[in-house]
Amino acid sequence: MQHLDPDRLVLLALSEEQQDTGESDHLAQCAGCRHDLSALREVADLGAEGGDLRDLPNPPEHVWQAIEESISASAARTAETAPVIDLAHRRDRRDRPARQRRPRWLAPVLSAAAAAVVAVAGTLAITGLLDRPPTETETVTAQATLAPLPTVPASASGSVEVLSDGFMRIDVRNLPLTTGFHEVWLLDPDNPTRMVSIGNLPNRSTVELPVPTGTDMNRYSLVDISDEPHDGDSTHSGSSLLRGTLTS
Amino acid sequence: MSSDDELAERLRNGDEKALRTAYDRHGAAVLYLAQRLLGNRADAEDVTQLTFVAAWTGRDTFDPGRGTVLGWLLGIARRKAVDRLRSAQRDVRTTETVRAQLTPADEPESPERVVDRLVVADELGRLPDEQRRTLELAFFDDLTHPQIAAVTGLPLGTVKSHIRRGMANLRRRWEVDGAAFGSRQAGPTRAL
Ligand SMILES: [Zn+2]
Repeated sequence: MQHLDPDRLVLLALSEEQQDTGESDHLAQCAGCRHDLSALREVADLGAEGGDLRDLPNPPEHVWQAIEESISASAARTAETAPVIDLAHRRDRRDRPARQRRPRWLAPVLSAAAAAVVAVAGTLAITGLLDRPPTETETVTAQATLAPLPTVPASASGSVEVLSDGFMRIDVRNLPLTTGFHEVWLLDPDNPTRMVSIGNLPNRSTVELPVPTGTDMNRYSLVDISDEPHDGDSTHSGSSLLRGTLTS
Repeated sequence: MSSDDELAERLRNGDEKALRTAYDRHGAAVLYLAQRLLGNRADAEDVTQLTFVAAWTGRDTFDPGRGTVLGWLLGIARRKAVDRLRSAQRDVRTTETVRAQLTPADEPESPERVVDRLVVADELGRLPDEQRRTLELAFFDDLTHPQIAAVTGLPLGTVKSHIRRGMANLRRRWEVDGAAFGSRQAGPTRAL
């Protein structure tokens, strides 16, 4: 069977020429050519509809500033809440709050010594002490103990603290291995189809993630950790591992 | 393409300047998607912000083998925008506004369709110059192959080959990054 020529498929997809009878007959019988033609048609349509996408305006700079602030707030807090290495470092940091507030984007221009302090503190934060009391810069406004769902090994566990500055500190233990990733959600217990995605868990036990501004924590009080495959689908996979209810 | 790979690598390694590069390169597409889905500028800017912050905190989960940085960012943005729409729909005060946004006078466009258009447009911009130029003449000026040959001065055979290869490149990218692929198309009820 003679398949349609690739150049010919493109001409048909672009509607530049019409199928002749022989081609129509072939397409009726050949799923491969049919599939190729429909994919090329779709691409041609998407391409032709992209005229207004060629010179999209960049987002305004204040959006970037908000991103930067959000990220440096998170990074600065990681450094601040890290177990202090020694008193000299602590004093150094306390005496110079301006530096502490400097966005981490400027880290490359800090002195090597200062950068080293941040790096060491960051490392310690990751290894993380779990029952560390909150520092003066953040108070815990709600917390939850996460328990494994019935299909999950009983050794899996976790805890969540909602901090006064809008971040959630999430600590998980013994999650089942995944070929995808773990994601944190806040669900409405009265209607668990309603949910807010908080973010993904990096490959370490403790993480702080920003809660989206305006999230009603009284409504979205059920914390859910899910196993998500890398399938491009951003909705909840339906595979929950841990859950727990926030209480203040 | 190599610069996208390099960007992905730097992001995954925690290079903060890589996020700015990603923002310069793809912030406009993210903002466009959010604006199309949400219908207002303030929410679209919020979602753009949330998207890049989430991209930074979730950079460990980015897998360059599964798609490009743009495809990944648009996936995050789509989720953030849909979350925002859902929460707006719950709010009685804004119900009417949301309804108006969701059913504009012209045909509503699905989030997936907007993502697909952005992905294809991005790939078009990355094609070698002559491939891109011939495809643009076909797409936007609706010229036939012989007309494109006349306009560009390229031999007809060359035009054909550019268009065939360009279309193959767009198709490949669409199949990697497009919203329709790899998506189970399921709703939030899957959480139950
Ligand atoms: Zn065939």
